[in-house]
Amino acid sequence: MAAALWGLSGTPVHAQKALPPAANRTVDFDTEIRPLFAQHCESCHGAQKQLSGFRLDREGDALRGGDNGRAFTPGQSADSLLLKYIAGLDPDILMPPEGDLLTETQVGLIRAWIEQGAKWGPDRPVSTQSSTQPRHWSLQPILRPVPPTVRQIAWPKNLVDRFILQKLETEQVSPSPEADRATLLRRLSFDLIGLPPTPEELDQFLSDTRPNAYELLVERLLASPHFGERWGRHWLDLARYADSDGYEKDSPRPYAWRWRQWVLEALNRDLPFDQFTIEQLAGDLLPNARPDQQLATGFHRNTLTNKEGGADPEEFRVAAVVDRVNTTGSVWLGLTVGCAQCHSHKYDPLSLRDYYGLFAFFNQADEADLPAPLPTDDHAVVPALVQTSPVRQSHILLRGDFLRPGEAVPPHTPEVLPPLTTPANGTPTRLELARWLVHPSHPLTARVTMNRVWQHLFGQGLVSTPDDFGTQGSLPSHPQLLDWLAAEFMLPTLEMIPPAVPGQPPGYRGPWSLKRMLKIITCSATYRQQSHPRPELVDRDPRNVWLARQNRIRLEAELVRDAALASSDLLVRTVGGPSVRPPQPSGVSELTYAGNARWKESSGPDRYRRGLYTWFQRTSPYPMLMTFDAPESNVSCTRRERSNTPLQSLTLLNDRVFFECAQRLGELAWKSASGSTDQCLTSLSRRALGREPTPEERQTAASLWVRFQDQLKKQPEQIPALLGLPSPPESPDAVAPDDSLERATAVLLARLMLNLDEFITRE
Amino acid sequence: MSIPLARRQFLAGSAGGAGLLALASLLRQRQLLAAPGAPASLAARPAPFPPRVRACIFIYLEGAPSQLDLFDPKPRLNELDGQPLPDSFTAQVRFAFLQKETARLMGSPRLFRPQGASGIELSDLLPHLSQQVDHISLIRSMHTEAFNHHPGQLLLNTGSQMFGRPSMGSWLAYGLGSESENLPAYVVLTAGRGTSGGTSNWSSGFLPSNHAGVLFRNQGEPVLNLANPPGITPELQAESIAGLAALNGQRQARLGDPEIASRISAYELAFRMQAAAPELIDLSGETEATHAMYGLGRQEPELGNWRGGPQGCFEAFSRNCLLARRLVERGVRFVNVVHASWDHHSDLDRQLSLSTQMADQPVAALLADLRQRGLLDSTLVVWASEFGRTPLGENRKGFDKVTGRDHHPFAFSLWCAGGGIPGGQVIGETDDIGWHVTRDPVHVHDLQATFLHLFGIDHRQLTYRHQGRDFRLTDVGGQLVPKLLGTG
Repeated sequence: MAAALWGLSGTPVHAQKALPPAANRTVDFDTEIRPLFAQHCESCHGAQKQLSGFRLDREGDALRGGDNGRAFTPGQSADSLLLKYIAGLDPDILMPPEGDLLTETQVGLIRAWIEQGAKWGPDRPVSTQSSTQPRHWSLQPILRPVPPTVRQIAWPKNLVDRFILQKLETEQVSPSPEADRATLLRRLSFDLIGLPPTPEELDQFLSDTRPNAYELLVERLLASPHFGERWGRHWLDLARYADSDGYEKDSPRPYAWRWRQWVLEALNRDLPFDQFTIEQLAGDLLPNARPDQQLATGFHRNTLTNKEGGADPEEFRVAAVVDRVNTTGSVWLGLTVGCAQCHSHKYDPLSLRDYYGLFAFFNQADEADLPAPLPTDDHAVVPALVQTSPVRQSHILLRGDFLRPGEAVPPHTPEVLPPLTTPANGTPTRLELARWLVHPSHPLTARVTMNRVWQHLFGQGLVSTPDDFGTQGSLPSHPQLLDWLAAEFMLPTLEMIPPAVPGQPPGYRGPWSLKRMLKIITCSATYRQQSHPRPELVDRDPRNVWLARQNRIRLEAELVRDAALASSDLLVRTVGGPSVRPPQPSGVSELTYAGNARWKESSGPDRYRRGLYTWFQRTSPYPMLMTFDAPESNVSCTRRERSNTPLQSLTLLNDRVFFECAQRLGELAWKSASGSTDQCLTSLSRRALGREPTPEERQTAASLWVRFQDQLKKQPEQIPALLGLPSPPESPDAVAPDDSLERATAVLLARLMLNLDEFITRE
Repeated sequence: MSIPLARRQFLAGSAGGAGLLALASLLRQRQLLAAPGAPASLAARPAPFPPRVRACIFIYLEGAPSQLDLFDPKPRLNELDGQPLPDSFTAQVRFAFLQKETARLMGSPRLFRPQGASGIELSDLLPHLSQQVDHISLIRSMHTEAFNHHPGQLLLNTGSQMFGRPSMGSWLAYGLGSESENLPAYVVLTAGRGTSGGTSNWSSGFLPSNHAGVLFRNQGEPVLNLANPPGITPELQAESIAGLAALNGQRQARLGDPEIASRISAYELAFRMQAAAPELIDLSGETEATHAMYGLGRQEPELGNWRGGPQGCFEAFSRNCLLARRLVERGVRFVNVVHASWDHHSDLDRQLSLSTQMADQPVAALLADLRQRGLLDSTLVVWASEFGRTPLGENRKGFDKVTGRDHHPFAFSLWCAGGGIPGGQVIGETDDIGWHVTRDPVHVHDLQATFLHLFGIDHRQLTYRHQGRDFRLTDVGGQLVPKLLGTG
C-alpha cells in the first residue's frame, strides 16, 4: 500500500501473496528487463558492488547466482529466488531494500523473461566502467542502419515509417488511420509555426486537390517567418532564456532579446545546426568574427547573475561557468555531466577530471557587452562572451567548492568520447570544443538533437529522457530509427525535391538542416496518424511507445495564449523585437524583492504579441505562462511538464486577456452568422478548433445558446459588460431592441470554446 | 469512487443530459487508468506509516532574524562586547560584508528571562510567544552550509541550494495528496515586501506542476483570476462550467482520453474554489475575541524605513496567521506564511523590534488558537529562517557605525510545535558567544527528515526519478532528531 505512493506506476507487489502472473507476450531484454535491473538492482548487485555475492549486470554472473543460491533457472520461473525476493514472498528478504519496489506488472515482465529462456540479448552490458566491455549504446559510433523490410508495403510514406512499422508488425498491431485533413492542418500549423490555421487556410487546404497538397502545406509552413518563433522558443527553453538576472536583485536585461532575435533569424534561414552550434558556443573565436556571430554567444549569457549584497563575485562567476558546462552537457551531449562536478559520475563514464576538463573551456570565457551590431542602435549593447586574457588556469574544485581548488586541469573532452582535434599552437578553445561537438564522428550531438525534434513532433522522444543518454537514462524505443535520423541529419541521402513555393526560395536543405529533417518526419505516415487513444493497446502499450497512433499534446504555455489571440483576430503577428508586457493580474510583480520589476503594461499592438515575446522576469514570471508549465528559466529545460490544474481553468475562464479574446471572438462569429445561431456556432468552431462542429455538438451548443439567453433575459443588466461596453446610465428593464442579446450570447459561447480541452490540445 | 455531491450537481445541471452516465463512468475509469506518466492524482492518500500530523504551517521569516537577540542568550558575549575574536574562529570563514580584521564582538541589549513552567529563556521582544513557551521545542543548534540569502532559502525550502528542486510543501502534496475538496493542497500566504527567492521557494521543481504552492493573496482576490470577468454572474459561470462538461464529455466519449476527464474535474475544482476561497478569506464569522487575539485591527506603529514592508503590514501578517488556521481547518496540507525581510545588517535594534512587534502576537495567537481547537496535535507549526546572524557587529565598508549583524550559517535558532513534539524543551547548545554549535547539532536536512517523519513518511523513501537518479527532499543527508520525536 505504502510504496505505491512513491513509485509512479501501478500496484506494488509486496502486498501480494502469490507470484504475479507472467506477462502474456514476448519480452525484450534490452528495453524492458535490463532497465529494471539497472534501476533497482545494480547499485548493490552490479559492477561496483556484489552484495551477497550476487551480480546482475552480466549474464554469466546472473546465472551463477549468489550466496543464497541460484537466482533463477531459465525456463522455470515458479521457484526463482529473484522473483520471490522482489515480489515480497520471502518472509525475510524483500528486494530492493531501498527505493521503489517493483510493481506487479514489472515482476510479471521479469517472470515472463525467465520463462522465455532468460535470454540476455546481444552482449551489451549496461556498465561501461571497464574498457574491455563494449560501450553504452549512445557512445557507439552512429552507423546508418539499413531500413527494415516490412510486410505492409503500402503504408510507409518514407523510410521513417519502416522502422516504426517493423515494431508494430512484430507486435501484430496495425497503425492508426491517417487523421482527417482539418486535424492534420491544425497539427502541422501548431507543430511548425505554433499558430492555429485561419478559416481561410482551412478552406484552402480542404479544397486542395493536388496530390502533393500535404507536402506543399509543410513547405508553406517551413517557409513562414513564424517558423523561427515556434522552433526558436524550443531553443530558448534549452538556453534558459530570460529578461532579468535572477537571484535577489533580479535586474532587468534590456538587451537580452537581441540574442533571441538572432535565434529566430538563424532558424528561419535554416542555418545548419553545426554552424548554429559553433556560432553560439564560440562565435567570438571564429576568424574575422562578424558582429552577428559574436552576438550568437549570448546563448551562454543567459546564466543567472547574483548581485546580492555580500555575494562573492568569484563564487557566482564559477557558478555561471558550472551552469554553462552543465547546460552544454544537457543540450549537446544529452549527459548529466553535472553529477561529475563533485565526484566521478556514479553511472556514466565521466570522471571528475573530465568534468573540469570541460569546465576549463568555459573558464576561459568572460562576459562582455559589445556594441550593438546595427549602426542605427546608438547606445544599445548585446550580451556576448569573449576569450579571457591572460589564460585563467582551471583546477578541479573539491566537492565543487570554488574555495577548494585541487589539481590543475587543462581544457579537454571526456576520454570516453572521440578525441578532440587540438590546434597547432597547443591549447584547445571553445571553438575546438564546438567543432568537436558537431564532428560527424561524434556519437551524441546528432542523436540528442534528433531525439528532441522527435519529442516536439510526437510529445515524447524516442529516448524518453532527452537530457540523459547515459546508463540511467531510458533506452531508445527505436534505436535504429534514432540512428537513421541522426545519420540522415549529418549526411543527407534521401532525395527530396522541395516543391516550388511561388515567391519562396527553396532555402538551405543540406547537411545539418533542421527544416529538412522536419519535412521528412512530418511527411511520414507515422506522423500523420490519428491521435485517438486505442483501448485495445492501453494495457499493452500504455505510453504509446510503439507509436501505433499520434499523441494528443496539451499546447505549450505560449501557444495557449497565441491560439486565443489568433482565433479572435487580436494577435499582432509582428516577428521579433524587444520583449513586451501584456496585461497581467495586479499584485504579481509586487511579490518580488526587485523593485525594478514593476510591470508597466505595454500599450497598443504590444498588448497582443505572441507569448514568446512576453517579458520574462525570473523572480516574478508572467503568471499565465507559469500556470501552463513554462520553464522557470533558471536552468536548461529539455522537456516541459504538461499539467492539468484548476489554476489553468481559472486563467482561461477569467483572465482579462482571455476574456477579451472571448468578447472579440463572439462578436466576430455573430457578425459573420447573418443572424443564424447555427452559423455562429460553425464560425466559432472553425476559428477556435479549426474544424466544422459535429451534429452532436451543434445540438448541445444550440441548447446552451437557449440556456445562456434565458439567463441573460433574467439579468439583462449584464449585457453591456459582456460586450465590453460602458453600462447605460439607466438600468434597462427590457432587452435593448438591437441584437446585443445575441451578441452577448455569442460571447458566452465563444468563452466556452476557448476553454475546451480540444482548444488547448494539439490533436 | 463515489461522486461528491458538488460534482453530481454539476452533472445533473449540465446541458448534454444524455452523455452523463457515460461521463460518470469515464470519470471512474480515469481513476483506474492512472498510468505512469499521467499527472499524479491530487486525491488524499494514506501515509506509509501512522502519521502524527496531517498539516503543517511553516512560518518563514526570510532574511535571518538574529537568534542572539531572540532565542539564544549569551551573557558572556555581552561581557566581551567590543573585543576582537581570536583568528581561530574566522580564519576559514567567509562573510558577506564583515571585514574580519577590524570586526568586534557585539553583545545584545535584550533582556532574557526564564518563561513558563519550563523556564526557557526568551528575549523581551517576544512577550506573547513567552506565554506559549511550554508548547514549543526551541532548537538552538541549527546549522546550514548556505551563506547567501537565495541559496539559503532554497536549501531550507527545497533541501538544495540548486534551482529546480521541489519545496517541502510540494513533496508533501505529491506524497500525501490533498484532503480538501475545494482548496489546493499547498497554499502560500505572504505579507509585506516579497522574498528575494520569489516563487522558487514554493516551486514544485521537477514534480508535476499541480503540486506547486498556490499563492493566496491575503486581501482582495486570494487566488489570481478567481473573480469572474465583468458581466459573468455566478449563474452564467455555472452554466458555462456545465456546458464545458457536456462538450468536453462528448469529446471524451469519442476519444476515450482520460486527460479530458481530468480537465473536466479541474474545471469543477476551479469552480468550487471560486466559492470556497472568498469564504475562506471572509473573517467576519470569526469572533471579536479571535480578531483581537491575532491582533487584527491593532494599532500599527509608524514604520518609517522598516525593512519589513509598508504601512499595513502588521494587519496583513495577522490576517495570514488567522488564515493559516482556517486553511488547515479546511483540509489544506501545507501552509507557508512568508514574511520578508529580517535581514538586519544595520539598525538591528529598531528593525528587529518592529518585526517582532508584528509577528509575536499573531504567531503566539495561532499556537493558542490551534491548541484550544484541538488542532495543534495534528498540525506542525514551524518558525524558521535560512540562517542566523553573527555575534560580531557588522563593520561593513562605508558604515560609520556598527548597528547590525552579518549572515551566520554555523549556528542559529528556530522552533517548532504541535504534532506531539514535546513542548517546553530546548534542543542543542552553542558556545559562549554563539559562534559554533557545541551540542546536538541539527542540520536543515535533519529537520526536514524529521518533519516528513511526523507526516508518516520515511524521507529516504519519498523519491522522484529525474535526470536518471532518484531525488529526495533531504538530498543525501537527513538524520531524525529524536528529541523532536520525543524519543531522545
